[in-house]
Amino acid sequence: MNKRTHPRLFVILGLVILLVGAMAVAGCTDSAKKTSAVPPVPTTAVLTPSQAPVSSPAAQQAAAASGTTAPATSGQKGTLKVSGSTTVLPIAQKAAEAYLATNPDADIQVTGGGSGVGVQQIGEKSVDIGMSSRELSATEKTKYPILYKTVVAKDGIAIIVNPANEIRVISAQNAADIYTGKITKWSQVFGGNVPGTNNQIVVVGRDSASGTREFFDKDGAGILKGAPPVKSMLEKNSNGAVTQTIAQTPGAIGYVSIGFVDSSVKALPIWWNDPDKAVAPTRENVLTKAYPINRELFMFTNGQPTGLAKDYIGFILSPDGQKIVGEEGYVSLI
Amino acid sequence: MEMPRGIPGNLISADARSAVSQKSAAISRERKETAIRTIWFLTALSAIIAVFFILLFLLRDSLPVFENTGIIPFLTGTTWYPTGNPPEYGILILIVGTVLVTLGAMVFAVPLSIGCAIYISELAPLRAKNILKPAIELLAGIPSVVYGFFGLVVLTDVIRTTFDTPTGETWLAGSILLGIMALPTIISISEDAISMVPREYKEGSLAIGATRWQTISRVIVPGALSGITAAIILGFGRAIGETMAVLMVTGNAAIIPDPIWNVLSPVRTLTGTLGIEMGEVAVGSDHYAALFGIAVILLAITLIVNSIAVMILNNLRERHMGGAHRKSIALQTLLAWIKRPLILGGLFLFIVALFLILSFYVAVPILACLGAVYFIRDRLSPKQAEKVAFGLIITSVIIVLLILVLLLQDIVIHGLPALSWEFLTQSPKDLGRSGGIFPAIVGTFYLVIGAILIAIPLGVGAAIYLIEYTKESRVTRFIRTAVDLLNGTPSIVFGLFGLAFLVYFLDFGVSLIAGQVTLALMVLPTMIRATEESLKNIPQSLREGSLALGATRWQTIHRVVLPPAVPGIVTGTILSIGRAAGETAPIMFTAVVFSQRYLTSSVFEPVMALPYHLYILATNVPGSSTNKYGTALVLLLLVIGIYSVAIFVRTHFQKKLRG
Repeated sequence: MNKRTHPRLFVILGLVILLVGAMAVAGCTDSAKKTSAVPPVPTTAVLTPSQAPVSSPAAQQAAAASGTTAPATSGQKGTLKVSGSTTVLPIAQKAAEAYLATNPDADIQVTGGGSGVGVQQIGEKSVDIGMSSRELSATEKTKYPILYKTVVAKDGIAIIVNPANEIRVISAQNAADIYTGKITKWSQVFGGNVPGTNNQIVVVGRDSASGTREFFDKDGAGILKGAPPVKSMLEKNSNGAVTQTIAQTPGAIGYVSIGFVDSSVKALPIWWNDPDKAVAPTRENVLTKAYPINRELFMFTNGQPTGLAKDYIGFILSPDGQKIVGEEGYVSLI
Repeated sequence: MEMPRGIPGNLISADARSAVSQKSAAISRERKETAIRTIWFLTALSAIIAVFFILLFLLRDSLPVFENTGIIPFLTGTTWYPTGNPPEYGILILIVGTVLVTLGAMVFAVPLSIGCAIYISELAPLRAKNILKPAIELLAGIPSVVYGFFGLVVLTDVIRTTFDTPTGETWLAGSILLGIMALPTIISISEDAISMVPREYKEGSLAIGATRWQTISRVIVPGALSGITAAIILGFGRAIGETMAVLMVTGNAAIIPDPIWNVLSPVRTLTGTLGIEMGEVAVGSDHYAALFGIAVILLAITLIVNSIAVMILNNLRERHMGGAHRKSIALQTLLAWIKRPLILGGLFLFIVALFLILSFYVAVPILACLGAVYFIRDRLSPKQAEKVAFGLIITSVIIVLLILVLLLQDIVIHGLPALSWEFLTQSPKDLGRSGGIFPAIVGTFYLVIGAILIAIPLGVGAAIYLIEYTKESRVTRFIRTAVDLLNGTPSIVFGLFGLAFLVYFLDFGVSLIAGQVTLALMVLPTMIRATEESLKNIPQSLREGSLALGATRWQTIHRVVLPPAVPGIVTGTILSIGRAAGETAPIMFTAVVFSQRYLTSSVFEPVMALPYHLYILATNVPGSSTNKYGTALVLLLLVIGIYSVAIFVRTHFQKKLRG
């Protein structure tokens, strides 16, 4: 028996040592290998509100409060948790990177999850800022009455097609007819033709809970104006996925946030009454409201933002922050 | 205790002393046995508790939709339009979509898997086997997001150009992708089951003159049927519960294919709907409740399919081993009477359907082939039949390997340029477009190791309790059903459960521990089933011999029963590691952040993780293509690293088994 257990024991012992060693190495390099842009400060971990596993409401509130009531100086301390819409995520992330460069003692944890999750988490006070690309719904307003909204950027929604499609401009009416299924072939649309295919239109949209789709479908300035989209519309779960699908499907049409328009797709100018007055979905046109399909992007806080959250949001609203908004392809407020 | 007469004094006292100490030793041994048995019982209980908690939580949150819409309208409504006015919550089309896609996936995966499993365990030379088995387990380690992207970029394009349809996002794409994802599970566990069939069966069959193929098809595979069924159930659970990959390639259009066998039509599955809408929906709203209603229906479907599979298994087993049930004479004669006409009638209908569905030019060759097979089958000599069968098996192995190579080359070719020392050791910059992924690597490592450390004791313990300490009874069948149910739960439901229970209710917050527990729950069924199957394959004679020699139950288990079962347990661990490392949905709401400055220093803090990082890069950060593939490649390498340790342990134990 002894002879048999020894080798097994060694193997198990070896694995355990390997495991512990790996964790120790990873943990010890904690302070050594940080973001190269910022000098490391390991003591900040002590202030993280999440480290309190106690479930009493008082402790929770105190912990949440301590994360947001750090002194509002340029050397900010504390940890800020930001979560929510993946449309606003790039803005929050880039702004956080720039902000952290000048505030070495602070930490900002950014994550996605969707507008719905973001609103819930800020309402339940498990994060400090909730990002959203849509307004609060009625249920959310009743459940979380003290949420405070800050507009951080504007965003336009562009209609895109595959570059192989010969169409140059599209009328709002045609777009609506395509999305409701009245028009099914590119040959029925003025200027539309996809050489090498039978001109069948592939309609691509977003999932029904998406803020982007809500604007496209419902908003007064949107295209569908409340009519239900055709049942054969392919639904994608993100702007990136829509762009990808349009880019590789010759007969496809879709809509994305203008930050996602790149060289692999063609964004169409839209006309309403006069084909010569088609408006392209550029940032300038959204800013001047010449292009009407646009929306605002929000950050929600519990009550007015204070402390670190106030400073961070203030940074985003400042000229530097709005420059970042523009760089990411969104439309700045100024 | 009586003193024997006529024995010298000092011996009596030695005897007496040893008798007393033996008795107290026996008592303490018994206490230890009871203690150990209680521990295993508690682990088995934990699996049931987990299932019930999840079920409870799902039902609670889905109640509003069942109250407002009613169960029947919910199940049979044909419009899913939650943002309509009034909103409509009818999931019939979604159910059809799920059934079609999963059925297609099983049709694709099961023949290929059984063929591969037979090849690996019976036909492959040792060197090929040592390469093939880990290679196929590698398929299990590819993250679901990567499968989704492979599907979106490569598979749908191929389908679009091959079949000349407007878009490749179809039922066919979904089935193929899900089939590929279920392959490693089914192959690995079937292979373990087949190789555990006692050698005497095989030797006896060959001794009476059967060819190798006859032995395999009539003796070995039926002997491994229990394991193969478990493998198929686990594979089915994997397929039906997959969220991310399926929502990327099926198009998510809520339509029933027209005609119903049109594999080139887009479809929408229940999990796809969950995955695509869950993040954006307002918590607590009717839409939210409807999504939870979908999760409940998914569990119900899994339950039904599992029950059917178990019934089929019992039926097959009875047929092969002469079951205890005997049908009445009247019933038997009746069945014999109608059997022939029934078969002929069914054949006629099938031919008519074939001609109606497919064009004339396709139906005739198919019919010709089938007719040829039927007639030739009986005229082939066993040797020739063997050649045909082996040819088919080798074809299936080649197809699976081809798939693996296609996937890997896609990741490796695009990801290799991104690999560099900075990439591996720095934090991400510019939204992940540049910089590195070091914190995500560490985070994934922590998550996987933690999940496995939780899942192995619970899973192995539960299986030990079920097999060793209890007889097969209603209670154990109930536990097994609960475990299979857990297996079919979509990964995103685990994520939501983790969010509501661990993050909010237990107030862990978004933290490493919440992610580890959620992942552990997700892989628990795989661990339990794999361990159960390997324990079941240990011959009863070994246990009886050990007990006859005076060993206690626990001694028998851990010295006689467990060691030969370790390879099977390790296979289960490997599959679990692969799944835990690659899943995004369970950790999305419970453990991860996209970025933070410092590495996690306690289990109550959130972490970064590779699958989530990959997911965000791919869906929301335009212009990050290289880093995206680099992340996928690093994740794959990390999984391979952990695999190597596990495979080393498995080979070590297998060598000891062979002696």
